[in-house]
Amino acid sequence: MRLLVTGSAIRGLPVVTIADGEDVAEVRDLIYSPEAGRVVGLTLNKRGFLSGRRREVLPAETIHAIGRNAVMVDDETSLIHPHDAPADVAAPPSGRDVTGNEVLTEGGESLGQVKDVVVLVGSNGEVVGYEIETASGKPGYIPLPAQLAVSGTALVVPESTKDFVKDDLVGLGAAVDEFRSRLGIR
Amino acid sequence: MSERFTAVPGRRVVSRTSAEELGNLSHVVVDVKRRQVASLVLGKGRKALLIDWDQVSGFGPDAVMVAHDTALHPAGDDREHAAADGKLDLTGKRALSDMGNDLGTITDVVFDPDTGAIESLVIGDLEQPAASLLAVGSFAVILRAPAE
Repeated sequence: MRLLVTGSAIRGLPVVTIADGEDVAEVRDLIYSPEAGRVVGLTLNKRGFLSGRRREVLPAETIHAIGRNAVMVDDETSLIHPHDAPADVAAPPSGRDVTGNEVLTEGGESLGQVKDVVVLVGSNGEVVGYEIETASGKPGYIPLPAQLAVSGTALVVPESTKDFVKDDLVGLGAAVDEFRSRLGIR
Repeated sequence: MSERFTAVPGRRVVSRTSAEELGNLSHVVVDVKRRQVASLVLGKGRKALLIDWDQVSGFGPDAVMVAHDTALHPAGDDREHAAADGKLDLTGKRALSDMGNDLGTITDVVFDPDTGAIESLVIGDLEQPAASLLAVGSFAVILRAPAE
């Protein structure tokens, strides 16, 4: 059983330092790498009302944990200027956004369109699945293999993904490990 | 016998040498790294005075005895000012695990009145050992995540 959270639930979370219990920023957006199958960093807003964007970014390597209620970092030095960040965090290649992409199985069946990423709670940005909108318009959740083909308009998933389309995050949390073991991952 | 932070406010502070009542306690300031009471605050706001824990000669159920009247000092640095205003109080503060999950609100803190050592943090029905305390900030108290 894994605890999962969608990307939209991570946006707006406070970024809190473990060293001194202060909220130093809040999550503006996720920088997602479909090739890596993970969140490589976060862009940030200042805390509070009417507060604007913060220039600094938070690379995934410096995230202690993404939790249900906060993103934890060791201290404020984890927030770095984009200039000092890894290239894929500082300037993510365009066409990275998988939202709206069609999900196709290897057998050529369309499962729906990607709405959001699903992140493992307690990780520093591990993406274990996608929230999709199925052809019937209903939301669904699919697990991801470690590697998959992404074109910018569609992504190809193993045929067995069909058996693991879930109605909610709890269902997906329970299915992730079985899905991965069937594919021989970990 | 352990003491609790919620039982402390209002307790008299008396000088052992002059037997004079110096004031009433309002806050307890914690040294997070040592998991220990660092100082006690008398009164509130700008008139607040602090006593360092090592100047306390007896923390009793009816009064807190201090060695000398001169042990009281006004807030010096920013941290002491924040402490005097109660901004660093543990009780009433949000408790957040280092894994980013809310644990609840800290309702009380248990400490040893002889040594000032923090023994545990009370979060509703939960009691977390003092060893799990990582930081106290204005946003939250950070605790090492309890085993799940």
